[in-house]
Amino acid sequence: MRDWVLAGCAIIGALIYLYADSQLPLVRIGDPLGPKIFPAIIGGGLLLSGLLLMLETYRKRQQVASVSVVPLPAHLPVDRQRPGVLLAMLAWTVVYYLAFEPVGYLVATVVFLLGLLTMFHRKKPLTNLAVALGFTAVIYAIFTQLLHVPMPPGILEFL
Amino acid sequence: MESLYGILHGLAVAAQPAHLLYTLIGVFIGTMISHLPGIGPSAGIALLIPVTFGMDPSTALMMLAGIYYGCMYGGAVTAILLNTPGDAAAVMTVLDGYPMARKGRAGAALAIAAVSSFIAGTMGVTALAFVAMPLAAVALHFGPAEYFSLIFFALTTVSALTGESLAKGMMSTFIGLGLATIGIDLQTGVPRFTMGFVQLQDRVSFLVVVVGLFAIAEVTRMVEGTLQGTMHTVRVQGKLWFTRQEWRRAKPAIFRGSAIGFFCGAAPGLGGTIAAMLAYVTEKKISKRPQEFGHGAIEGVAAPEAATNADTCGAFVHLLALGIPGSGSTAVIMGAFIMYGIQPGPMLFTTHPDLVWGLIASMYIGNLMLLVLNLPLVGVFARILYVPPGILLVLILGIASAGVYSFNMDVFDLFLALFFGVMGYAFRRLDIPKAPLIFGLILGHTVEQSFRQAMTISSGSLMIFLQSPISVFLLLCAAASVLMSMWAKRKPAAELHKAVEQAAEGG
Repeated sequence: MRDWVLAGCAIIGALIYLYADSQLPLVRIGDPLGPKIFPAIIGGGLLLSGLLLMLETYRKRQQVASVSVVPLPAHLPVDRQRPGVLLAMLAWTVVYYLAFEPVGYLVATVVFLLGLLTMFHRKKPLTNLAVALGFTAVIYAIFTQLLHVPMPPGILEFL
Repeated sequence: MESLYGILHGLAVAAQPAHLLYTLIGVFIGTMISHLPGIGPSAGIALLIPVTFGMDPSTALMMLAGIYYGCMYGGAVTAILLNTPGDAAAVMTVLDGYPMARKGRAGAALAIAAVSSFIAGTMGVTALAFVAMPLAAVALHFGPAEYFSLIFFALTTVSALTGESLAKGMMSTFIGLGLATIGIDLQTGVPRFTMGFVQLQDRVSFLVVVVGLFAIAEVTRMVEGTLQGTMHTVRVQGKLWFTRQEWRRAKPAIFRGSAIGFFCGAAPGLGGTIAAMLAYVTEKKISKRPQEFGHGAIEGVAAPEAATNADTCGAFVHLLALGIPGSGSTAVIMGAFIMYGIQPGPMLFTTHPDLVWGLIASMYIGNLMLLVLNLPLVGVFARILYVPPGILLVLILGIASAGVYSFNMDVFDLFLALFFGVMGYAFRRLDIPKAPLIFGLILGHTVEQSFRQAMTISSGSLMIFLQSPISVFLLLCAAASVLMSMWAKRKPAAELHKAVEQAAEGG
């Protein structure tokens, strides 16, 4: 089922890409192909791979009846909690990136790390605080002092 | 002969104190990364690239290459002690390494892994040094048509031979190629697929994609690990060395594994995992005691370990001589080359001899450093395994964010990296290989340029690709690799499944 959806997504993606390609202006300055032809080949290839996946999935489904599929060891059992945790993490990271410049690297990073540490390394608030502060300070020092990359000061600009 | 002078010259370059120091830092970081389940060499190199921006390119590349082979070297440790491969290529080492550890022979397994890695690495670098230059000399005669066919071949093998499904490999390659078309077209100045973002006019930053796809996406794997809970570690007991009888059994396996590994590395896109698989299956097939495999046969540790390490050297052949990466990690290293303003390829041997030979020679030194680091310090490194993964994953996310931001000092890159992180997660859940995407992204620009140049030369006739014998040969190779994947792919996969099943029964 997942593979059917994936194949569908690839085909839709390829069509959108091909449409965007067809909207490009036709420019040919000393170049018989112009900027549109090569992307058109790529879009066609993506489309083809989507169709091929459909064929593969269809064939596999026919085979499953006779041959049992052995799952690879890398596949972990599905955890019910996981999608929620990952989504929360994603949202928290988006908030961090939004705050990156206005709030500033130091404050935003300490808060971000502390939030994640509280989630994944529970019951050790002091260790977590030390890790968040220490890590942020080390990274800040490496980037601003050693690599001369100014990190955004944000609300600590007065310092 | 010229290669010999090259190596000697390279040794002089690599032996400079700064270069020695950064090689050591590289292999040290590589070994550490290999001990972190979930984080592989590609992610490690990507995370470290921003730190190298101020450095001299030779020094930086020695360090990044050190991370790569250091990681391959150390992947065995988690495989043997934790029953979890530290990187994908160590998956075969698990089959016999962990049973050996369970039998109380963890020390011997670790020692044989380190020694096989060292022998294979040294043999591999020697082969690399002598093969790369003649190959580069041939490649100097390549025109746009030959280059197009060469890259086409590389892209075909990587899509056909990584992962389980040809369609998914192709999909990944075309997504990578599609990403490479984003930005201003150099020949006509037309902005393509920028979706109105000014930041995308200068193309999608390679670093952002790699950090997102590997580092950020791998964090999700660690999250799953922490949620799932326990991993069982076997403590190292007794002496860290093998018996004479074990050595006698392992020695031929090491040499066979090295040869298989180097050839797999030299075939673009095959990668360490397939090298290790082939080496393991070969050993099992020719062994007089096949029933011992999966229950702690020392050849089952020696051969795949040798193969993965020789494979890294083989992968460098293409990168240095042709400008085509040989594996996902060498593709990331190639990205670093380009970021430093150096185009890897046949000209490299004439334009930057210090860099190429210094890099090759540093791999000899790095291998020696790894042997010294790994044998006595294996216990120290193993402590990394006890760092709570909850802390590690948070720190990796922190490093990734700071590194991506430092690249352009633009928050847009952070969101882009997060987007690719989500994409990398989806790729893993859907079993889509990531290496083809990286190949497509890094080679997309060159393949389009050579295609358009060839078409300009031929005034738009596709026949130009069939007029040169080299080009025809490469296109035939590409076709062969697709056919090979269709006919023969099931076989090693089936063998692997059988071996894994046996290991599960034995463990």
